[in-house]
Amino acid sequence: MPILNIQLSGGLETPDGQRVALPSQAVLLQRGPVIQVTVGVGQVVAQQVLQQGGQLPPPVTGLALIDTGATTTCIDEEAAQKLQLPAIDVVTVASASHASTERNVYPISIEVAGLPIVVNAPRSVGAELKAQGLLLLIGRDVLQSCVLVYNGPAGQFTLTL
Amino acid sequence: MLDRERAYFAAHAPEWERGHPGAFVVVKNERLVGTYASIEEALAAGAHEFGLQAFLVRQLGVPPLQVRIPALTLGLLRADP
Repeated sequence: MPILNIQLSGGLETPDGQRVALPSQAVLLQRGPVIQVTVGVGQVVAQQVLQQGGQLPPPVTGLALIDTGATTTCIDEEAAQKLQLPAIDVVTVASASHASTERNVYPISIEVAGLPIVVNAPRSVGAELKAQGLLLLIGRDVLQSCVLVYNGPAGQFTLTL
Repeated sequence: MLDRERAYFAAHAPEWERGHPGAFVVVKNERLVGTYASIEEALAAGAHEFGLQAFLVRQLGVPPLQVRIPALTLGLLRADP
């Protein structure tokens, strides 16, 4: 079982221009459990397209936030358009404080940097994530086959797929 | 998106379910492309016929998943206290 152990690092700039390193605990608190991922068309769909002699857009790389509060993995809608992902459904995303909205559903493949496997998320929801600096939210549909250990005091987390 | 397919599915899902309970279906326009044992088989069939065009994939007899993404819908992603 591949294991990914992440300890985030980072810092901030003081008013006089000096860069000060922050403890990992503070960086994890600030950024959350983020990982580098490469996203492409879902593998089953990609195989069919290639067998038919079609071409696939190049995969997109970016940051994914592991979100245990999300039922479903989300992909940035702009990236979904760039990847020419086929919409395979439309779902209503419920919200307690806003009107519910309809979003497209896409089949995607996720390659996590540092792990030698590809995870398929066949029903990922399109959402506006780019403004948050994110490509993906990894939800419980993917996490249901993972072990996630969040070690706040050490400023690290471990993901086993 | 997929308005015609969703309307067609809603109108015909009960009859399809009687013959194929729990199956995954692929619908394009107002046509049932086929029924399949898994979502992977359904995606392969849809992509084989339609490539990267949109097509509907749903499982019969399963209510739609209530999608909840509170950090996104509440605008709390990257919230900075």
